[in-house]
Amino acid sequence: MANWLKIAFGNLLKNRRRSLVTIMGIGIGFVSVSLFYGYIHNTYDGLRNAAIKGEGIGHLTIYKKGWFLKGKFEPDKYMFTDAELGKVKAIAKTDENVVLVTPQLSISGLVSNGKMSTIFMASGVVPADEQIIKGDWGKFRPVQGEKLSEKKEYGVEVAQDLAAILGMKPGSNGVVMATTPDGQMNALDIEVAGVFDTGTQASNDKYMRVPFSFAQSLYETEKADRIVVLLTDWQNTEAVRGDLLDKLNKAGLECEIKTWNELSQFYSKVRGMFDMIFMFIFSIVFVVVSMSVVNTMGMAVVERTREIGTLRAIGVKRSGISVLFAMEGALLGFIGSVGGAVAHTLLCIAVKSGDLSYVPPGNSSSVPFIVDLLPGSMLILAFFLISLSLFAAIFPARRAARLNVVEALGHV
Amino acid sequence: MALIETKNLSKNYHLGASVVHALASVNLTVARGEFVAICGPSGSGKTTLLNLMGVIDAADEGEMLFKGKDVSGLSDNHKTELRNNSIGFVFQKFNLIPVLTALENVMLPLQIQSISPGIAKTIAMDRLKQVGISDFAGHRPDKMSGGQQQRVAVARALVINPSLVIADEPTANLDSVTAKSIIDLMHDINRTQGTTFVFSTHDQRLLDRVQRKVILKDGRINGGENNG
Repeated sequence: MANWLKIAFGNLLKNRRRSLVTIMGIGIGFVSVSLFYGYIHNTYDGLRNAAIKGEGIGHLTIYKKGWFLKGKFEPDKYMFTDAELGKVKAIAKTDENVVLVTPQLSISGLVSNGKMSTIFMASGVVPADEQIIKGDWGKFRPVQGEKLSEKKEYGVEVAQDLAAILGMKPGSNGVVMATTPDGQMNALDIEVAGVFDTGTQASNDKYMRVPFSFAQSLYETEKADRIVVLLTDWQNTEAVRGDLLDKLNKAGLECEIKTWNELSQFYSKVRGMFDMIFMFIFSIVFVVVSMSVVNTMGMAVVERTREIGTLRAIGVKRSGISVLFAMEGALLGFIGSVGGAVAHTLLCIAVKSGDLSYVPPGNSSSVPFIVDLLPGSMLILAFFLISLSLFAAIFPARRAARLNVVEALGHV
Repeated sequence: MALIETKNLSKNYHLGASVVHALASVNLTVARGEFVAICGPSGSGKTTLLNLMGVIDAADEGEMLFKGKDVSGLSDNHKTELRNNSIGFVFQKFNLIPVLTALENVMLPLQIQSISPGIAKTIAMDRLKQVGISDFAGHRPDKMSGGQQQRVAVARALVINPSLVIADEPTANLDSVTAKSIIDLMHDINRTQGTTFVFSTHDQRLLDRVQRKVILKDGRINGGENNG
């Protein structure tokens, strides 16, 4: 085996220019795929956190069955009563993956500074629970002024563009008006506790966060339109959804549960686009690596025809010749992948130390440009490229193995 | 029992529409321990006959018996194993593996037999000493002269203790001094170890040393001589 490896490695060195070009092709392919994957991995993480923590939708959101179809017309019928909320909380908390169960209520209407009015949309959240959901995310998009508090029932957080439109800042007063589920108009005074950046241009000029009790007061209801569930780990989302739905149904609560990625359309769309670009890049790398290895090994077979004849004459079986050339292909893949991994690591360090940032489309502010260093994914990619190089080498290797010994020995 | 026996061995090559009769009904017997030269003009079928005797080619007609067994019907893998275990080859252009050292080249047939590297190394080193080239064990072929390469090739052919060594024009690419030393080497091995050598050559110095000459002409045996 050591001698075969030595023959394989020696032949790569013997044709070092050609081997180098192929290895560089594989290395560049490795870097292209791994860098892009590292980037989108970081982006998916960011978008996931933005959805779960930033938008505050948690990992799971429980609605009464029928809410999405008929909730707009008969909201009261499809909202959770206090008793139902308690029941859902009790059931959900039996799952060890559940960190928090909290009610929320969406409201919308007009907000006015006394001189001018504009539309708003708001989430009524339990302030203490909201801080738990936000977690570290709060540091990334901090609230200017004060955060929501149970103590300040009329204190609200206003998105920065909406605050700018209305000339509001922390401490400013205003009024919100909305139609209750019963069809009555209601208005409440507000005090701007804090101003924050939602992160997206689309929501920054209309979004507010208000205390849950405030939202209930404005809508003159004691109900919640949804219950948000926060889990220990996002990867348990699907499993917990299934279990929770079963338990709720068994308890006689007809509900439907949406996951964070179902509710965050932005995440789904960005992921769909990036996944497609990734496949596109991956396909190009696949073709380039396959073709360059086939080309390199094909030339090696032609150049080493007499050597193949000699090996066959002294007792190497056809399968042995195939293995030898496949090994050379795999070696090309291995060296290319190692080179790619080193280049990837250096580039990751360079990007990190460069402290780069950019404004993604639709975002209201810049986000850091980070490429994740993912050893596990790099190993998988290296394994894939080595296997690909090995399989690409099999075609010329089979050709080499099938050579007639006499003709091969007579090859000039 | 003869080591090699050919019965009505024929081989044709197809060049476009025409058929070249490389060998036609060749009957030849080589006993164990013989030092046999096959000679004849270019195109007489020497190399073809050696290829058939070395089991790297198959006859169109006739039988090729090796140690009394017909090898014509063997599978490719069985023929390959037979070569690896029983037949050594010395080529005109030496045909050493360029990326391996002399020692590694000689070890190769043993490693194909799955002999451990340690044992293979010892045996190969002994063979290199035997052919007087052990000082070059760590050298690659491109750092050795033609004569040195051919000595390594002889060591590689002998390392498996073959029943038969096939040598196709072993001195054709060597200067006269080196050619003589290679001839002496092969002759010594034949004499001291009883290894059977069958080779093709035009080299009169080599022909003078053989026990038996088989003369081929137009693919047929056209006579033979025993040097005694």
